[in-house]
Amino acid sequence: MTDTQPDAPPFSNALVTPDALPDAQTLETNPLSPHYRTLNLAIVSVVFSLLLIAITVVRFQQFIPAAEGLVKVYPFVVVILAALGVLSFLYHVFADPLIRYAVREQDLILQKGLFFRATVCQPILRVQHIELKRGPLDRIANMAKLQVYSAGGSAHTFEIPGLPVTRAQQLRQFILDHKDLDAR
Amino acid sequence: MDTVSDKESVSTTAVETGEQWQRLSPISILYFTASNIKKLAQFLIYVVPAVAVTANVLDLKDSPYVIPVALLLLVSLSVSGVISYFFYHFRISEQHVEVKDGVFNRRHMNLPFWRIQNVKIEQPIYYRPMQFALVILDTAGSAQEEAKIVAVPLSYAQALRKQILAYHTDEKPVAAQEESKQASAGEDEEVLTRRKIRDLIIHGITNNRVWIILGAAAPFYDSISDVVFRWLNARGLNLEQLISEQTAAWWQIGLYTLTLLMLIMALLALLSVGGALLTFYDYTLSRDGDRYIRRSGLLNKQEVSMRQSRIQMVTAKQDWLDNILGRVNLYFEQNTSGNQQQQAELMSPNKLLVPSVTIKETQALVKEAMPESQLYETTYQPVSLRYLWHWLGVWVWPPTLLIVGIYLYNQAWELAIGTSVVAVLLSLILVLRWWRWGYGDDARYVYVRSGRIGLDYQCFEKYKVQQVKVSQSLLMKRRKVATLNVLLASGNITIPYMPEQNAWKLANELLYVAEKSRRSWM
Repeated sequence: MTDTQPDAPPFSNALVTPDALPDAQTLETNPLSPHYRTLNLAIVSVVFSLLLIAITVVRFQQFIPAAEGLVKVYPFVVVILAALGVLSFLYHVFADPLIRYAVREQDLILQKGLFFRATVCQPILRVQHIELKRGPLDRIANMAKLQVYSAGGSAHTFEIPGLPVTRAQQLRQFILDHKDLDAR
Repeated sequence: MDTVSDKESVSTTAVETGEQWQRLSPISILYFTASNIKKLAQFLIYVVPAVAVTANVLDLKDSPYVIPVALLLLVSLSVSGVISYFFYHFRISEQHVEVKDGVFNRRHMNLPFWRIQNVKIEQPIYYRPMQFALVILDTAGSAQEEAKIVAVPLSYAQALRKQILAYHTDEKPVAAQEESKQASAGEDEEVLTRRKIRDLIIHGITNNRVWIILGAAAPFYDSISDVVFRWLNARGLNLEQLISEQTAAWWQIGLYTLTLLMLIMALLALLSVGGALLTFYDYTLSRDGDRYIRRSGLLNKQEVSMRQSRIQMVTAKQDWLDNILGRVNLYFEQNTSGNQQQQAELMSPNKLLVPSVTIKETQALVKEAMPESQLYETTYQPVSLRYLWHWLGVWVWPPTLLIVGIYLYNQAWELAIGTSVVAVLLSLILVLRWWRWGYGDDARYVYVRSGRIGLDYQCFEKYKVQQVKVSQSLLMKRRKVATLNVLLASGNITIPYMPEQNAWKLANELLYVAEKSRRSWM
């Protein structure tokens, strides 16, 4: 909370050659945990199989006569569910390896997306707080999700999913140790 | 506002209350009662329809219990006000504000001065004869975290505000010391702008401020519509009959509807002007050192202070009507992440609004808040034409052609024409949107122009960026265009379909400036 007057800091406008500026577009990135895609594929398979099984059981069980509407709709529902299942399975097959992250001295970078490629850059200077999240499935796969909050609102939380736990902890420590984190 | 400086001069009052817990002035009972009534009313808005469905309201009116029940309610409400009063304590010592309140849910809040983001002084109408005020202390956190000191003398409130804000200025480094001396001297408050009633009438017409009044009147909707219907009936105009029996020709009904619509529009405009007057009456924006102070309000006088460094972005908005009249609504936007309530926008210090200023005044105010900025002067680069093609070629025309084709096949000519007209209008709006969208930057600021029929200008300082995102679809990648999202503490700004190279250049530049400067965004 130092510079309150915009005039206060000395204004410098030295010439910087464009090549000397850091570029977030071209840099080496790191993959997530290899288990990340496996876990997602397993979740998709299990969820859609369960849905299909559930609706089939309701349709063919003998205890209560099945509603007429259900009998009619059943084939369509099965086809749609199966199609959705296959599509999201395929999506994870191709999209998950495309989620990659990079850590620079001053910021974190995440690349993601199959059809819509997005690169998000989060300066460490602007980090408000960090969370490591591990759901039950993450714990089984020995993974963690790193969430980095800035003042821009929780809808825009910078999130790296599916990190190996040790790597996630290292990253958190790196951010916490960053000298700019508590700059005022 | 000459009275302001009078009040300011009483700021010698001691602010610290010491270790002793203080009770409020008894006048706060009024405030507690009023806020309890408000809560009840808000609750009733949801309950009344349910009750009305189950019980016949007219029966209720005749029932002998109504008056005793209403009396009981009123008495218990005022008793609850008294109880709240007895359960509320506060103290201010060693740069901490502490508040203990709540009857069932006891709450102890400790707020150090340095975490206070805004100080807001409110004077509801019933506080004014006795010169009392309500102090609301905002933190950067959520709305629940704000502390209210419910009833203190106005002079004390002013002194407290001064002390809290002075605490910030004391913290400043040596380079800015000169400024802080000025700030703590205090009395040289400089009025930047005032809004006359004429401006507010324009503001009411160009902006829909109806909800200010409608929101307050919500509990009475039913009875109002009742009265209106009865009044119309008494004048021989039975709406239900008119529509159901089709006694009138279609053009008659059309005329009636048109007249009614015009009447409603006029009434709404009138209400809107009323709403604008209610909130912005006697509006002054002044500057005291590094702080902006906004004062306004007809019944409920408000005073909001905000430090200049807290401004994340300046937005100058013009609706089409504003455009014709040459007026601008200027917003100084602060950190909004804590508050979700958009409705409180006008009152909230998070978006300090200067209503309906002329373009010339806007330029002066923007220059004041962001020195050397070129909001209106800079040349805006257009976004790629691909943006337009994408929207027209993917989202508007293929579905339209399909639907129109189906209608034509079924020989539904009117529907086909209607759909095409809608699609053409949509396309026109999209063309406008593309045409308006532009961006520019200089060493210190980024400027974004956008809008459809209206025209919005945004300007923010580069180092205040929180996060940057560059995204492109595969098609966009082939065409070498990308969308840039810049996240500020006040929200997200999108520049779509920039040339890929420019998007990355600006993104890298923003990151570089933020990380290099190491300046706080607050």
